[in-house]
Amino acid sequence: MLFRKISPMLGLLCVTLPLSAQSGGQPSTKNGDWPYYTADLKGTKYSPLDQINADNFNKLEVAWRFKTDNLGPRPEYKLEGTPLVVKGVLYTTGGTRRSVVALDAKTGEQLWVYQFREGKRAAIAPRQLSGRGVSYWTDGKGDDRIVFVTTGYRLVELNAHTGAVIPGFGKDGMVDLKVGMTTGTGKQIDLENGEAGLHSTPLVVKDVVIVGSSFKEGMTVVTHDNTKGLVRAYDAHNGKLLWTFNTIPRPGEFGNETWENGSWATNGNTGVWTQMTVDEELGLVFLPVESPTSDYYGGERPGDNLYGESLVCVDLKTGKRKWHFQIVHHPIWDYDLSSAPILADITVDGKAIKAVALPSKEAFLYVFDRVTGKPVWPIEERPVPQSDVPLEKTSPTQPFPTKPPRYARNYINVPDDLIDFTPEMRAQAKDNIARYKTGPMFLPPVVGDPKGFLGAMQLGNASGGTNWPGAGYDPETHIVYAQANQSAVSPISLRKPPEGFSDIHYVLGRNDTEFRVSEGPGFGSAADAPQPVRTRPGRGGAAAAGAAPAAPAAAPAGGLTVQGLSLVKPPYAVISAINLDRGDIQWQVPYGETPDAVRNNPALKGMNIGNTGQGGSVGLVVTKTLVVLGDSQMTSVTHPRAAMLRAYDKANGKEVGSVPMPAPQSGSPMTYSVDGKQYIVVAVSGGAYSGEYIAYKLPEQE
Amino acid sequence: MTAAVVLLALSALVVFQEQKATTVWNGVYTAEQAKRGAALYANSCGSCHGLELNGGESAPPLTGGDFMSNWSGLTVGDLFERIRTTMPADRPGTLTREQTANVVAHILNVGQFPAGTTELSTRTETLKQISIVAIKPEH
Repeated sequence: MLFRKISPMLGLLCVTLPLSAQSGGQPSTKNGDWPYYTADLKGTKYSPLDQINADNFNKLEVAWRFKTDNLGPRPEYKLEGTPLVVKGVLYTTGGTRRSVVALDAKTGEQLWVYQFREGKRAAIAPRQLSGRGVSYWTDGKGDDRIVFVTTGYRLVELNAHTGAVIPGFGKDGMVDLKVGMTTGTGKQIDLENGEAGLHSTPLVVKDVVIVGSSFKEGMTVVTHDNTKGLVRAYDAHNGKLLWTFNTIPRPGEFGNETWENGSWATNGNTGVWTQMTVDEELGLVFLPVESPTSDYYGGERPGDNLYGESLVCVDLKTGKRKWHFQIVHHPIWDYDLSSAPILADITVDGKAIKAVALPSKEAFLYVFDRVTGKPVWPIEERPVPQSDVPLEKTSPTQPFPTKPPRYARNYINVPDDLIDFTPEMRAQAKDNIARYKTGPMFLPPVVGDPKGFLGAMQLGNASGGTNWPGAGYDPETHIVYAQANQSAVSPISLRKPPEGFSDIHYVLGRNDTEFRVSEGPGFGSAADAPQPVRTRPGRGGAAAAGAAPAAPAAAPAGGLTVQGLSLVKPPYAVISAINLDRGDIQWQVPYGETPDAVRNNPALKGMNIGNTGQGGSVGLVVTKTLVVLGDSQMTSVTHPRAAMLRAYDKANGKEVGSVPMPAPQSGSPMTYSVDGKQYIVVAVSGGAYSGEYIAYKLPEQE
Repeated sequence: MTAAVVLLALSALVVFQEQKATTVWNGVYTAEQAKRGAALYANSCGSCHGLELNGGESAPPLTGGDFMSNWSGLTVGDLFERIRTTMPADRPGTLTREQTANVVAHILNVGQFPAGTTELSTRTETLKQISIVAIKPEH
């Protein structure tokens, strides 16, 4: 039996604990709960709690900590979960085995833990580590369940009170999500070795559980005929499949002709790997769809490739398409659709609109009428640069929103966007970037050539703008709050794959460098991933390195950075308040504080550089008066070495308080209240610090 | 007796302080070692962390302000241990201690910390005596 109950006492423990929780009904942020990954089904990350506010944020102290090191055979350094809290119990995932834990939300004491040993299936999974957390389902009468997806892509339901699997759900408490996943024109993938997984949380609405799908990073794919993405809905009671939405339309389905030459049949991916949202009243589900195979080359799939990088609205009951909007035609920039769509009831020019707003890696907020799919403000098709990579057929135009304006830099405008603290730095930046092709948004990747361009310079696709942590929204003021990275400089170069590696014509890489497979974050870090026997080279580093290829001649000392500073000028990332009634940016401030290496940089000595902010991509929580989010980087100039969890005044973006965290924020914060006390929990990890959930609250005594 | 103990303790303190005073600005690796590390880096690290150490979707940068902010204040030993125990992410434990030290030398070299005449040690406890300090200390 693979399932292991860790605590034989858990039944006893849990009978006594949630006594305060026997009130029944649906949990809600109004009651101090945080029952969904994004706080509610609308993707807002908003809680009306206000005990922690501008006046006292600095007084926050650690209420409890939960280290995830031992929830798997080795620690993880990329803990990304956002816990749920329902009626005084906190639920989340953690560790390299993606265990589920239930903790006393007041003390952090472990109530139960569930782990499922999947062996190789997890070890080769495309999305490893502990994932983003869990979901909660209740019948409102005491049947309360935790719903989550294992590393090996199984949908599991657990008894929220004991951690035991729900025997009547699927087979022995789980549904094998690999069943029904296909390649080609319908070939079932291998249940052990087939590529499919998910690390976002299932979307639970009424009695329906909706799950997406994701795959390995698409930089160096072994085939363009990868597993095809799907979105599926299951009955929350028993795991029965209710409907399937093909994110790559089959013949006869809407959009199939956007895969020219029948290329729908020979391409994959196009899954939904981030959080989905739903309008419960209207019965509409919003699917943010990722890129098709592969991330940076689409020569094997001429056409627009629906629903690649499209926001798709489907019917909650049937899964049938209501409308869609393709954000990027024929995607080859890895823009994906990274963030949970936000449902917003807004008023534009006196007219009430039920809208859906989509934050993006492009740093555009795309806003639509969520009933009709019509853009609230015009989204214009504009001509864009065209690819010169063999067989690649780029779209002549791409969509550009006219409102709201972009909320972060989304390409490098040379030379204006380059570092300009001193003329020398600007000159060096120009030198550094001269070896790369530069241009406007949607500059296509190039075949890297040491005698020509080493790559096409990108900003804001792979890790720019707003990524998977998404944004937040205040339903009372109609303002979206979004953190966005605008210093993720990434040159993209393509090369032919080595003989026999892949059937795709081009993969990420450079012909003059050794080919290496690009794996996703944490790949090989899951529990049961093989730890290969180390080959023993002879003594002496030189001998050990003898067989390795020569270092690329093109890598200049200091890389693309300029005297240790980013190639682009600050702010390195920003936080924006975007007014959805007006379609404008109400305020924008640098995110975090100036990194030490910038503040102390000898080349900047004596200069007043202001707050540069810091690079990084993080999530936030919106409360009655605050926007709370933590730093991506450790700093130590204005306080002892720490990454700070900061509170910003929602009205103007002014920082009103901060408390130290021992490592950067790696998962989006959340907030809840138990017995009249408000808590903020955030996942931290990175650098030398392994994953930990930390809860903050105000002191009991002044 | 007591005096001897105090003296011993004092001298230990002095040695400790001297060791603590070693930073990445003291020429703690050799150019040759960094060169070997560069080759290893391209092969084992570059696909995720970027050939220019500038990071990517799947891994953070290993140079520049972002990197230094996360490591300044810690030691070369901490960095060495992080790599030794968890990297490369898809096959941790496959680099020898020597190879790991060479990769660290490459990272320091790209970070424009000066090379010296002695190679980086492969002993974690020795490397823990070398502080990562973003800014060159003034003497």
